[in-house]
Amino acid sequence: MAGLALDDLIVLEFAEMVSGPMCGKMFADMGAEVIKLERPGIGDPSRTLPPFVNDRPHPEQSGFFFYLNTSKKSVTLDPAKPSGAALFRELVKGADMLIENHPPGYLEGIGLGYETLKALNPRLILVSISPFGQSGPYRDWKGTDLIEWAMSLTGYNTPTLVDDENRENPLRAPGHAAETMGAANAAAAAMMALFHRDATGEGQWLDVPCWQAVVNTAKIEMAIWSYVGMPFSRLRKNVSVGLEPLPCRDGYVYVLWAADAHWIALKKLLGNPEVLDSEIFDNLAGRHEHDDVLRPLIRAELAKHDMEYLVSEGQRLGLTIGPVYTVGQAANHSHLKARDAFVEIEHPLAGRITIPHHLVSLTATPPKPDRAPLLGEHNSEIFGKLGLSAAQQQALRAAGVI
Amino acid sequence: MALPLAGIRIADFSWIINGPQIAQWMAVMGAEVIKIESQVYIDIGRTNPAGLPRDAKGYNSNGFYHMLNYGKKAVNLNLATDRGRDLAHALIRKSDFVLECFPTPISEKLGLTYDVIKQVKRDIIMISVSLLGKTGTEPSRWVGWGPLACCFAGLFDAQGYPGGPPRQTGGTWPDYAIASTVVFHALAALRHRNRTGEGQWIDASMGETVIGQMHEYYTEYFMHGRERGKRANADDVMAPHNTYKCRGEDKWIAIAVGNDSEWQSLCRVMGNPEWAHDPKFADQFGRHQHRDEIDAHLRSWTSQHDHMELATKLQEAGVPAGPVLDSVQIHQDPHLWEWGYWWRLNHREVGERIVPGMPVKMSKVPQFNYSPPPDLGQHNREVFGGLLGLSEAEISRLMEEKVIY
Repeated sequence: MAGLALDDLIVLEFAEMVSGPMCGKMFADMGAEVIKLERPGIGDPSRTLPPFVNDRPHPEQSGFFFYLNTSKKSVTLDPAKPSGAALFRELVKGADMLIENHPPGYLEGIGLGYETLKALNPRLILVSISPFGQSGPYRDWKGTDLIEWAMSLTGYNTPTLVDDENRENPLRAPGHAAETMGAANAAAAAMMALFHRDATGEGQWLDVPCWQAVVNTAKIEMAIWSYVGMPFSRLRKNVSVGLEPLPCRDGYVYVLWAADAHWIALKKLLGNPEVLDSEIFDNLAGRHEHDDVLRPLIRAELAKHDMEYLVSEGQRLGLTIGPVYTVGQAANHSHLKARDAFVEIEHPLAGRITIPHHLVSLTATPPKPDRAPLLGEHNSEIFGKLGLSAAQQQALRAAGVI
Repeated sequence: MALPLAGIRIADFSWIINGPQIAQWMAVMGAEVIKIESQVYIDIGRTNPAGLPRDAKGYNSNGFYHMLNYGKKAVNLNLATDRGRDLAHALIRKSDFVLECFPTPISEKLGLTYDVIKQVKRDIIMISVSLLGKTGTEPSRWVGWGPLACCFAGLFDAQGYPGGPPRQTGGTWPDYAIASTVVFHALAALRHRNRTGEGQWIDASMGETVIGQMHEYYTEYFMHGRERGKRANADDVMAPHNTYKCRGEDKWIAIAVGNDSEWQSLCRVMGNPEWAHDPKFADQFGRHQHRDEIDAHLRSWTSQHDHMELATKLQEAGVPAGPVLDSVQIHQDPHLWEWGYWWRLNHREVGERIVPGMPVKMSKVPQFNYSPPPDLGQHNREVFGGLLGLSEAEISRLMEEKVIY
């Protein structure tokens, strides 16, 4: 019995760019009715971000917006205007959840803080996503994906194994890892709050910072400090053993050779070359100590082989080894195709767009992304349900409220 | 007050990072997580030197394990024995979830596949976490951890400086990133089971999690057949948008300017140097076009300053900026303490240690379940005696026979 697991939920999304919309998308793709509130006339600023169909910027043809807003409804509404706030309050009364990612204090500043919303709907779950959280010394700091990522040990450690610290500055991960992790944490916590509400009838307010989401991805590095007492460093001179993409004949591979069993498998994979057949490399301590000698030897041997041989045969030998693919190589890989990792979706203005399909696969209630909405596409449906006549809706539009 | 997942039980066969991080979300939120370990394959978190205090002995002192496993119970079972497998099935029959994160060939050997488990309990929700998913072609059988997911998904190829080789993100962040994504879907599946009585299999791939967070790289490829490629820290719109060297070894600041007013504030903090008033930097487009030139100026300015002081000064002026914190600074960071991220674990063997808490706060859950990380086999008698009803004598015999082992 395939179905959508969350089709009884109504979620308001008053959020822009990545973190809030990504959280809303997770609910929408699982069946919730997600009503996205966008700025009248402009919409979510992510509508201005590439890639665009035919490379022509157009608010309905941004692939960036499309992915983050699948399966949602869009209404335009400015809650900072009094009549907009009134409509916002009506929508809140009928909602299970409100996802927002405005600066902390913004909702309260326009008279729509948690206490006000709770009085209207005690069952409401307010999900506030922000760079640093709703309290603490950095509460009002401005954050972006780069800043949230860079302030963590994972950010400091990217790239790792640095030879020249003056030239190799810390890098953000391609994409929006910090904002996406914040979104996923928000979605998980919101489900927890839903179970709490199902048991008790009461809603609550969730505080989900994106920085803490990234900070939380470096527990080994934390333990190196708080349990072993060693400061953590990304500089090659301070790292006794480390991993990095290494060139092979037709690309790069990534391979782990820490344990003895791995080392034996790696030598076998490389045809047991004589240069690696030295007893100084026979145990972990020796391989650590002589890393500066060993690594160039391994590089030279890997460069003699093709990627697919090294990876397929290496995995068969029990090595932890993988291919460093380009996005195009991954996009065309038979494995990802067999898993339906990508899906083509029809859009009335953009045509057919192919996007990543699911974050995880489920057998009974799989995520089913449908197209993203046009700006204000569902105004008459949603405002009609609130009892506004066509004439009232026209007047609100003229006033710039919807 | 009851925690949100009170009454939910998880038979947790997972180890190392991604599975334990998923189970930890469930445990701190009140689920009873029974972590099934074995001395045949000790969780690497218990033994890895990266988290082991210098003079520590045994399996119970490792920070790597502590940080990923507080809130749980731990029992031992040797799944290579028939009786061990029977007891595992008895635990599964009393559970809502089964969780495992072994490479596919190991899961098959241990009988931890959905085909087997759903015969044991029809409405079970089984969670498998792996490098690239457990269905599909040959890579479904590979062994690997977070960085290999980045390799396969094209992230490392797109990571680095323009024209240079592929570089890697540090550590193993996809192992953590996948956790809350799985928790969200697992709780949706639980809700579905509560409504319909139907269980299911969640087959989570770290590779697909990575693809989701770099979606625009894929969408661009599918639209135009183009690789976005290596861009260091360049943003599509913002500039300056980079990390800049500060005073001291390997100290940095991140600065991201998104509009004219942030740019003007940045200029004010710099003391309005003459170069910054060049008309070509006056609007966002011009700054983006000439970002390398701006970066060179900024670097020579930031390199004279302390990264913490400068970030504070910039933020006070309304400029998005942040210090790249080292491992000492992050453990002392006043915001992380005041917000409530860090907490102090008082552990019998290693004393007081700073450990990370949950990266979310919930107004109706003022205290998560932060019970101490379990010793190896600590809950054997409680679980096999209490939950499964085995006698003290039988438990002792099973220990001798290396079934509870």
